[in-house]
Amino acid sequence: MSLVKRPTASAEWFLPGILAGMWFTLRKMVFNIFHQSKMETLNYPEQKYEYGPRFKGNHVLTVKKDGSIRCTACMLCATNCPAQCIKITAAESTDPTVEKYPIAYEIDVLRCVFCGFCEEACPVDAIRMGPEWQTAALNGSKFTYDIQQLAYRPQLKGGIVSVLDDHERHGAGI
Amino acid sequence: MPKIKINGNEVEVPQGSTIIQAFKATGVEICHYCWHPGLSVAGVCRLCMVQIEGMPKLQIACNTEVKEGMVINNTSDVVKETVRWGLDFHLINHPLDCPICDQAGECGLQDQYMKFGQYDPEMAENKVKKHKVVDLGPTVVLDSERCILCSRCVRFTDEVSKTNELGIFNRGDRCEIGTVAGKPLANNYSLNTVDICPVGALTSKDFRFRQRVWYLKEADSICPGCSTGCNVKVNYNEEGLWRIRPRENKEVNGHWMCDVGRDSYKFVNLKNRLVAGKVGQRGSWQEVTATDAARSAGLKLRETVAQHGPDSVALVVTGQYTNEEYHRLFTFFTVNLESNNIFHWMNNPETTKDFDGLLFRGDRNPNTKGVVDALGSFALKAKWEDLQSQLSSRKIKVVVVAGPENQAVFPDMTEKITFFAQAESMIWLTAGQSEALNQTGAETWQIPLKTYIEKSGSFTNVQGKVQTFKVGTTIVAQAFTLSEVVELFSGQELNWNLRPHSLGGVKTNYSIANRGAL
Amino acid sequence: MPSQQSLLLSEHYGKPDFAKLEGYKKHGGYAVLAKALKMEPKAIIDEVKSSGLRGRGGAGFPTGMKWSFLPANGEPRYLLCNADEGEPGTFKDRLMMERAPHQLIEGMIISAFAIGCKKSYIYIRGEYDFAKEVVAGAIVEAYKAGLLGKNILGSGFDHDMDVYSGAGAYICGEETGMISSLEGLKGQPKLKPPFPAVQGYLRKPTIVNNVETLAAVKYIIRDGAPAYKKYGTEKSPGTKLFSVSGNVVKPGNYEVVLGMPLKDLIFDLCGGLKPGRKLKAVIPGGSSAPVLTAEEAMKATMDYECLAQMGSMLGSGAIIVIDDSNSMVDLLQVIMHFYHHESCGQCTPCREGTGWLSKILHDIASGHAEVKDIDLVKKISEQMMGKTICALSDAAAMAAISFVTKFRSEFEQHLQAGKRTLGSSAHA
Repeated sequence: MSLVKRPTASAEWFLPGILAGMWFTLRKMVFNIFHQSKMETLNYPEQKYEYGPRFKGNHVLTVKKDGSIRCTACMLCATNCPAQCIKITAAESTDPTVEKYPIAYEIDVLRCVFCGFCEEACPVDAIRMGPEWQTAALNGSKFTYDIQQLAYRPQLKGGIVSVLDDHERHGAGI
Repeated sequence: MPKIKINGNEVEVPQGSTIIQAFKATGVEICHYCWHPGLSVAGVCRLCMVQIEGMPKLQIACNTEVKEGMVINNTSDVVKETVRWGLDFHLINHPLDCPICDQAGECGLQDQYMKFGQYDPEMAENKVKKHKVVDLGPTVVLDSERCILCSRCVRFTDEVSKTNELGIFNRGDRCEIGTVAGKPLANNYSLNTVDICPVGALTSKDFRFRQRVWYLKEADSICPGCSTGCNVKVNYNEEGLWRIRPRENKEVNGHWMCDVGRDSYKFVNLKNRLVAGKVGQRGSWQEVTATDAARSAGLKLRETVAQHGPDSVALVVTGQYTNEEYHRLFTFFTVNLESNNIFHWMNNPETTKDFDGLLFRGDRNPNTKGVVDALGSFALKAKWEDLQSQLSSRKIKVVVVAGPENQAVFPDMTEKITFFAQAESMIWLTAGQSEALNQTGAETWQIPLKTYIEKSGSFTNVQGKVQTFKVGTTIVAQAFTLSEVVELFSGQELNWNLRPHSLGGVKTNYSIANRGAL
Repeated sequence: MPSQQSLLLSEHYGKPDFAKLEGYKKHGGYAVLAKALKMEPKAIIDEVKSSGLRGRGGAGFPTGMKWSFLPANGEPRYLLCNADEGEPGTFKDRLMMERAPHQLIEGMIISAFAIGCKKSYIYIRGEYDFAKEVVAGAIVEAYKAGLLGKNILGSGFDHDMDVYSGAGAYICGEETGMISSLEGLKGQPKLKPPFPAVQGYLRKPTIVNNVETLAAVKYIIRDGAPAYKKYGTEKSPGTKLFSVSGNVVKPGNYEVVLGMPLKDLIFDLCGGLKPGRKLKAVIPGGSSAPVLTAEEAMKATMDYECLAQMGSMLGSGAIIVIDDSNSMVDLLQVIMHFYHHESCGQCTPCREGTGWLSKILHDIASGHAEVKDIDLVKKISEQMMGKTICALSDAAAMAAISFVTKFRSEFEQHLQAGKRTLGSSAHA
């Protein structure tokens, strides 16, 4: 006996299926018109969905209490990045307690796959992936995020302060 | 030749060698920091512990000579336990700031801890605080916290450079490497201390924070900095060359090289290079491809010989090219053009014989001996004065100059360019850009050449040793070797299939690229 | 065995004029030198060998044997007197240098004559200012009297002597550390081999002996080896200066024959403990020697063999008596702080291990540790033992191991008591 199920003659009539689908759509449409608050979809872009803080959206570079960038330019994120979209240029800091810092930190967001490996790799909580998720832009150059964009974009309201504190860290002998 | 047994395998080692040398010679793994083949034995890291049959205590392999019939073992549990703890002792006051440490990736402490370490450290106390970012001199920066006090650098300045700048100050776990006030680490070999530092305590100001080492590839080459011809390793990636480090060769440079030689990666990098052909005069240049420039220059050369005879052209060479290139170029001139006007441009005849007693020589060309030998083998005896008289008498119409690739060591560049420009036309073969060419009135072809790292060939060093080297990488794809230029000069074609590609593209992470699939 | 002092080296300590050449000569000073200079050097070495004299500095290595290791290659050789008495609890050499410097100088000239050395140095501990003054003065006296310099006592033997001093580092009491310091280098022990007897001071054959050893040579030559062997036991002949300190009624220097029961020494000669106190422990040979419990101390006799058998050592002869008013935890913390402070920093296990131990013991003492830290102390100590160039690491490790094994219950009690008093807030 053949195990392949061949379409029966009745199944070749697609009309019942189509009608069932149409009925479902029509029912939902009518329902939505009268129950807009219970609607499952959003009217994007007028309405935008707020994802939870654990969502792996756009990258954020955290800052220290004094507002300077926390990143130490260790390049572990760039090393770990499977898309090779992070480009860091390190420089020696003038602050004696800071060894090196990034003078340029660029993420090519068009290459980025939002895997979150950079966040995982970071030893000092300097890069996080936040709940923002809109990456659309009009100009190609806007897709390369620099430090200004990553750490101090207006949505961040002056930058996200990392919970790690240098004094505590030094006090703990790290 | 005493016969000994290492981990059950019988081996024969030279008389008088220490156990660690026997291990190294036979390729058996052994953990060690303070021992370095080029330095005296300090015996302070206490990691190269071995068990010798008949001895109650473990012995350090670096200070124990092999004796006939010795049975040595470093795989027993006692030795392994000792090495594990020895590594843990090293890490007690080590800051473990590997992410921001420049040595990470090529760090002895990392590598050996991964291989021999105990992975379950029991240290929970606070670490000792020491000085960070200590400026030891014009080339080296010290981070005392990372230092494991192996004393390699101190021994280097005592024994090799004999300048004694470094010392260990204080005692116990407060020990720090340092210099005496007013006596910075400022000798021509200071960067060797960075090479031999097994951790990231000593870093080179030139290379510090520029690249993570896993983004670098390595190629063997010969240092073109002077006529000693130190064997070197060149680190490069898609962005260019980053540093040069010595490669062991007992007959030439031992384990060391000078700081001056380490700068010889700079002129190779793109921003200092001539990337395409240029034709023109007095600073008004027409950019053409290197091939077109070479072809038209060759045409000019052959036409001049046909019109005015072989004595109307001249060739000037510097000591910075390979023996093979000299041979090809001289053959072309003497056989094809039948001209014997070949001159050797010495940049610094008065300091040529200088030698600092260790490696660095006053003759800043890698192949002066090679060019002299080549001139001799072609029986060319033209003198510099002949060139002078023939140029001023306008007898020479076209002068071909194989200029220096390392222009920094030619202080007479501008002066000589003006001098060559007395001829009607000048064919300027060089790797770098020369400002002085913008001032001259002669009709000039600039043809880009490859540097030492981009070609294969051989240099003859001052000892007369012919040292060959191979292509490491390519920075400027359009550039030619002198031999290739000669092919084009004589109207032949190059094998375009063999032309290299330029650098560029995304920087590859070699640690991931080499470890295979994730 | 009689519980009394046998005065040989310290016979004239009480006489103020003994420190001067005049007074010293009154008591037969330099007569032995005159006798020795008439002997064959070989005969002196044999005499010392047969006397069985063992190094009094700590290791107890037979002196005669050490001398015979010198290579007979005609190279200049040096005799160094190790007067860097740094071992905590030891003060026998200081007393001898202050009260009987000529005794040491005479012993040194005899020894130098025996090994054929033309130049010797006395390396005195940095802190011993008065001793340095006295010994240097005595050397000047000896030069003036023709006992040093060219042609000593008309024998044709030339010898020069000098006093050097370090800056007060414990490690300079180790023979190669002392040689480094004497050479003007940082006072750090050197790798062995080569041993000092082959390549020592200025890379020449060198003999390093303790003050007491060199002084004892004088008495061996004076009385002859058989007479000297009458003192002490068969394997540990002679008398020994013991520096008794700690909780005894009469602490001080005592010269007794080797092999005397420790019990007699403490309870008879030193007047025992203060009333109402109970003996808790005894460190028999300076802080590096493993501690003895009260029961062990009652059985111990003060000679090299018995103490070695008990797992401790005679060391420099510094007996530290501890009664029940002292905490072993605090004591070990202080000892470890000392070794941490004095480690030269050359070998990693010692440099890092002593610091680690000191930190852990500080935590234990202040109650901020757990019981497993006591095991960790033992583990670390075991890994420090026998892994370094010199014995400082071994000394620290042996002390730590003996304390935490023999008095473990006290450490545990201390931690529990600390937890109670500190409460939970201390751990926050």
